[in-house]
Amino acid sequence: MAFQLLLNFFLAFLWMFMAGTFNLANFIIGYFLGMLVIFGMRRFLSGRFYMGKIVAIIKLTLMFVWELIKANFEVLLIVLKPKMDMKPGIFKYDTELKKDWEITLLSLLITLTPGTLVMDVSDDNETLYIHALNIPDVNQAVSSIKDGFEKAIMEVSR
Amino acid sequence: MKKTNDVILQTVTKIISFIIILFSIHLFFAGHYTPGGGFIGGLMTAAALVLLLLSYDIKTMNKILPFDYKRMTAIGLLIAVLTAAGALLFNVPFFTHAYDYFDIPLLGETSLHTAVLFDIGVYLVVIGITMTIIQTIGESE
Repeated sequence: MAFQLLLNFFLAFLWMFMAGTFNLANFIIGYFLGMLVIFGMRRFLSGRFYMGKIVAIIKLTLMFVWELIKANFEVLLIVLKPKMDMKPGIFKYDTELKKDWEITLLSLLITLTPGTLVMDVSDDNETLYIHALNIPDVNQAVSSIKDGFEKAIMEVSR
Repeated sequence: MKKTNDVILQTVTKIISFIIILFSIHLFFAGHYTPGGGFIGGLMTAAALVLLLLSYDIKTMNKILPFDYKRMTAIGLLIAVLTAAGALLFNVPFFTHAYDYFDIPLLGETSLHTAVLFDIGVYLVVIGITMTIIQTIGESE
């Protein structure tokens, strides 16, 4: 990813030097042409084509915004209910993510969506302890995180 | 007392500390025309170092940045005094500043002022004193 991005920038600069005019428009043209070349040669480079990763990052961001809006309305409903019939609880969540930044990102995303809050990470970085405002069903809460954020983060780091 | 797992705090610190230091440099150079300057820039840099101290420990911190902060304070004072004393070489009173406009590539026409040198002294003194205070308090168990 980082190498392909650097190569793309290098090709864009090279295009500017070959064209002999140094402005932003020419840089963008060179960048697009470099992207086409890298896309054509993608099997020659290690990893996958880096635009796929950027699309995955944008997808993760949009998903986070949508989850944030949805979860806020859920909390609003809980707050405005006259009856207190919610079931708070703490559950264990075994994550498959390995790297430090992935675990941090997942924890922050879980914490920023209202209704769930990461309380602790185990010493071996394999288990998150999550406090939930309202969990009628633990397995459903686990699977919703697994299919949602964790899958999206894996898409980014694949 | 078992040590807790600080993976979230440490990972966030790795990113945030760079942003704070860059902002402190911006504040340092903004001091001539807009709010900012050596003092607030130095405090902001020290704040980034304190954040590192909070999320790691003093041993790791000394490995990352092997500075002697007492010496840094002394160097800062020396720079400030020499900037003020430099005016005596030109037969003008102590602390007289000089400035001129220079054509620097990338920046265009910029005024270079000897007050910047004095401010660098202030900046180093503030970082040195803040870190000395915090480290001596932290080490005395």
